[in-house]
Amino acid sequence: MAKIAIDPITRIEGHLRIEAQVEGGKVTDAWSSGTMWRGIEIILKGRDPRECWALTSRI
Amino acid sequence: MSKIKDDTSSIWTSLAKKGVSRRDFIKFCSTMAATLALPSSFVPRIVEALEKKQRPYAVWLEFQDCAGDSESMLRATKPTIAEVVLDVISLEYHETIMAGSGKSAEKALQDVVKNQKGKYIAIVEGAIPTKDGGIYCTIGGKTALDIAKEVCGNAAMSLAVGSCASWGGIASAKPNPTGAVGVGAAVPGITYVNLPGCPMNVENVTATVVHYLTFGSLPALDGEHRPLFAHGKIIHNNCERRAHFDAGQFVRKWGDEGHRLGWCLYEMGCKGPEAHFNCPTIRWNGGTSWPVQAGHPCFACASTNNWDAFGPIYSRLENVPGAGYQTTADKIGATVAAVAAAGVAAHAVIRAAKGTPHKEEKE
Ligand code: SF4
Repeated sequence: MAKIAIDPITRIEGHLRIEAQVEGGKVTDAWSSGTMWRGIEIILKGRDPRECWALTSRI
Repeated sequence: MSKIKDDTSSIWTSLAKKGVSRRDFIKFCSTMAATLALPSSFVPRIVEALEKKQRPYAVWLEFQDCAGDSESMLRATKPTIAEVVLDVISLEYHETIMAGSGKSAEKALQDVVKNQKGKYIAIVEGAIPTKDGGIYCTIGGKTALDIAKEVCGNAAMSLAVGSCASWGGIASAKPNPTGAVGVGAAVPGITYVNLPGCPMNVENVTATVVHYLTFGSLPALDGEHRPLFAHGKIIHNNCERRAHFDAGQFVRKWGDEGHRLGWCLYEMGCKGPEAHFNCPTIRWNGGTSWPVQAGHPCFACASTNNWDAFGPIYSRLENVPGAGYQTTADKIGATVAAVAAAGVAAHAVIRAAKGTPHKEEKE
């Protein structure tokens, strides 16, 4: 029984970590985590709605 | 994305091997001289440097980013520039495009940091969160802050590509939930260049590397650590719509006649009068276009704190130091142009009457 972690996952946009539980050569459970957060939802609060596209398109 | 090897071939040799013609190579060197605002007499020096110099190793770190700068690099459309960028530097680590994942990716990075200590270029894309111990961005279990300290701290120089890496960008927009900062603030004391822009312009990044290879030094920088060749002039002064500004011809509604005729976007919120960047001359996507040419006002993407310092994107510039454009623009639009006075003169008169110099004149 082993737990493996692959971090960073490459060739994607963003930061991702995958952890997997391996038993007898088979993955029995797995977890994914996004490992980066900027709080764009918080940043958008109170802004001129007309400019929100410019921020969200950069997520 | 090769494994570290003793690659002793010069930049030109490796370009030639890839089928880049001598003619395209010389053209590239000329473009670089022009981008660096150097007279053409410097072209031979650039040629000579790229003929002799080996490719410096480089690693590309991504932190609080959207990979827009990576896209900007990879989508360079000039026939040779993408090859040149990837060939001028030997890119050993780049999360979005590298083959290895997890431990092998980590190893590629560590190999450069250890074996090329003090010699490689660290390219950083994305902001670095400092709040709560830096937990808002981790890679391989390490915080972006710790990685930046190690990787940028051991590099010959760091290039902060894009606004986020330069001064925090979007992540640092009010209320900056994660305490995001740029590379220079996160790792004090390093040698670095800010190449902001949302995204960065690949030609400015390449020109900075070429300058470093040719002259062994960083290009002249402004107070915000940006190269003067790219950020020494305000957009407004090189804008193809400037004649319309001076003539008081403004777009006042999306899709109105003025918009269709390519008039000035000042009234629609253009921040060009306050933004220092070479977009109008260098443009984007291999010189195809730039936001104002496409009909959208500039939102000062390369200016520090642009999301908060200039007001909303579609609000006319107000209450900024040296402002006066409101008065000027309205007067020109409403009265002065009507009596056919020259916009430039009106501009100057109003400015003189107010006794406040325009920011644009400081350059
Ligand atoms: S205000 Fe904007 S669109 Fe108008 S001339 Fe200046 S930079 Fe160009």
